[in-house]
Amino acid sequence: MSGAGLEDVFLSTSLASYLDKKLLVLLRDGRKLLGILRSFDQFANAVLEGACERVIVGDLYCDILLGLYVIRGENVVLIGELDLEKEELPARMISVSAAEIKRAQKAERDATDLKGSMRKRMEFLDLD
Amino acid sequence: MLFFSYFKELVGKEVTVELKNDLAIRGTLHSVDQYLNIKLENTRVVDQDKYPHMLSVRNCFIRGSVVRYVQLPPDGVDIDILHDATRREARGA
Repeated sequence: MSGAGLEDVFLSTSLASYLDKKLLVLLRDGRKLLGILRSFDQFANAVLEGACERVIVGDLYCDILLGLYVIRGENVVLIGELDLEKEELPARMISVSAAEIKRAQKAERDATDLKGSMRKRMEFLDLD
Repeated sequence: MLFFSYFKELVGKEVTVELKNDLAIRGTLHSVDQYLNIKLENTRVVDQDKYPHMLSVRNCFIRGSVVRYVQLPPDGVDIDILHDATRREARGA
């Protein structure tokens, strides 16, 4: 890497141009982590400083502080650079406490479970 | 290496990348590497309402292993050249 000039860093596909920037990392399980990229390698293993998880349920959201995180590359879907000029989320979204978002998450999960069990009971009707 | 070379030809063109989690992102292809990791610029998510957290993402890195499709511009492929290159690669030349 010592031979690479500054231009090469910005032209290449490596994450070098994202170092020390605030990023959004999408994981394979659907989680969204935000933090500052401090290190990475060719597998997209990454170190995030000041990481937090952004939990979104409908129009509610909460950032849960996690600290220093090492993410194993295979779990990474996408790493996005956040445009600091732009709003991170639509204006309609409301920030709530961790307890509240957990409650909303549980309610959403229960609703999906209920839908699943209803569907199962109706399976004999051969819908869809 | 054929598709790596092929994608390198597409740098600067507008593409839509559909991921295995159904997220589809449109943007200008900035670069690609040997794992077919992709960097996009001026991105926008096709279904913005479903993915509000992507609102302020302008540039992104997509891990090659999570890509399902890359939708190309209609003039993005010269079939004859690709055909020749495929046969050449298959012969091991």
